[in-house]
Amino acid sequence: MTLLIGALTLGTILALLAIGVYLSFRIFAIADITVDGSLTLGASVTGVLLIQGSLHPLLATGAGFLAGMVAGMVTGVLQTRFRINPLLSGILVMTALYSVNLRVMGRSNLPFLGATTLSTLCEQLGVRWLGGERIELFGWEVASGDVTVLLLMLLFVALVAILLWAFLKTDLGTAMRASGDNPQMVRAMGGNVEAFRVVGLALANGLVGLAGSLWAQYQNFADAQMGIGMVVWGLASVIIGEAMTGVAGVGLAITGAILGSILFRELVAIALSFGLNPNDLKLVTAAFVFVALVLPETLSRLSVQRPRGQQEVA
Amino acid sequence: MSPSTVMVRLGKASKTFHAGTVNEVRPLQNVDLEIAAGSFVIVLGGNGSGKSTLLNAIAGSFLLDSGQIELDGQNVTDWPEHKRAALIGRVFQNPFSGTAPNMTIAENFALATRRGLFRGLGWATSSQRMEELRDRVRDLKMGLENRLDTAIGSLSGGQRQALTLLMATWLKPRLLLLDEHTAALDPKSADQVIALTDQIIHRENLTTLMVTHSMQQAVNLGDRIVMMHKGRVLHDFDARKKRRLGTDDLLAIFENIRRRELLDEGAAEMLRQQYV
Repeated sequence: MTLLIGALTLGTILALLAIGVYLSFRIFAIADITVDGSLTLGASVTGVLLIQGSLHPLLATGAGFLAGMVAGMVTGVLQTRFRINPLLSGILVMTALYSVNLRVMGRSNLPFLGATTLSTLCEQLGVRWLGGERIELFGWEVASGDVTVLLLMLLFVALVAILLWAFLKTDLGTAMRASGDNPQMVRAMGGNVEAFRVVGLALANGLVGLAGSLWAQYQNFADAQMGIGMVVWGLASVIIGEAMTGVAGVGLAITGAILGSILFRELVAIALSFGLNPNDLKLVTAAFVFVALVLPETLSRLSVQRPRGQQEVA
Repeated sequence: MSPSTVMVRLGKASKTFHAGTVNEVRPLQNVDLEIAAGSFVIVLGGNGSGKSTLLNAIAGSFLLDSGQIELDGQNVTDWPEHKRAALIGRVFQNPFSGTAPNMTIAENFALATRRGLFRGLGWATSSQRMEELRDRVRDLKMGLENRLDTAIGSLSGGQRQALTLLMATWLKPRLLLLDEHTAALDPKSADQVIALTDQIIHRENLTTLMVTHSMQQAVNLGDRIVMMHKGRVLHDFDARKKRRLGTDDLLAIFENIRRRELLDEGAAEMLRQQYV
């Protein structure tokens, strides 16, 4: 049960990553690998502020969000102002961020020992609210702190999702979405497509930085390697989510990304408990995204090529 | 023409693409053109004559190599495309160009209601906007007023062009640019869109530049014809002259240009070798 709650919590936190990847991948049609760096950036900035700055966890988390936004903004400026290929822009910023993150942390692994994090705050609240270290949940005895962290994270992610949904429905957000759909039309309507892209990528990476910040506080350390492969992780979540909720509308897509992230983390936890070597995890994730990307096309080609008269047996 | 009534003025506008390569084209060569406020100008010309380039130059899809462009008294020569959009409404040849296909009709119009204006955090599809939208879309008599939440990409080309036209003129533009906006449509839809075009232009008294391939449209619509060839304005018929033009006359002029063209390319070289 503790394992399940842990997986659910991590899946919820990484839902912010999934929403960020949804923004860049589905709205701007960019696989934005900046994510691999901005996730770690959010974690390291939060960590240093918590430990050396003794900042309130909420402020430190906000700083992680802002740091991610700056990273996304740089990628956006490289793409628009300097006309560098979107994929290459992301690779450049991700590579640069690796050094930046080491600089920020001063080493490759930064434990948050002794620091007050959002997670420890939530756990304290939980103990106070639920009146005890352990409570019974559906017949299982679990740590009340763990449950509270999960619930508050769920609430927080839901709040962020609603704010993002509302933003995408405003004049600015609608124009931003359209700029990914048909840039020529948006220009003809007086929209600055380049500025929208910079804002969009900043927002996307801000959410990713936020995910990194919360993740680091949850696991109680930041690590220079924690972002590696996370863009593929986010893509997997987005794709699973689309299979669950469909793509009709922004609200459904965001909901899908959240559900996809939670389900994917759950699947990974199950696979690991059944003996999947953790070292193979990235390989399996990449293979999964590959299959999810080519499968729909392959299926439709098969159904077109099937000769007449050879109908499927019911 | 007094300056106050001139809506568009091009002065020695020139543009060369792929300069210095074998693909070099010069679609605009020292074009001087003045368009009076409220006039409806038809632009004719063969392929590669520069007529679409003329519209794109005014809209700011690219910046001129030399020369200048004034719009409503303002020098817009160095303005980027999105800034000029505050003054210009556009409908493109390709029905896919003027709309965001994966967004709803309502969302597309939400963009049009803020053409050239600041976009803030106001709700894009507010009920007040939707009400006005439903009324105006109902006037199209296409039955789209109850489908405002469908993705615009699922509509036919004719429906999309009609909506694009409505979007381009939602806020009254100083200048309306129509770039062969019925060329990709079937004849019936083309007729509908042309009727709507004429209706909106006259109701709002819009200054309009319309590129077309159709001699019929050129004769029936507008109050001036500008004929382009090889990046220059070759003929300019004002309202009085235009009234006397029929499709046959226009075709004859084109034939003339074509003959001269043949002479230019092949025969001229031969004559030169023999006589010079």
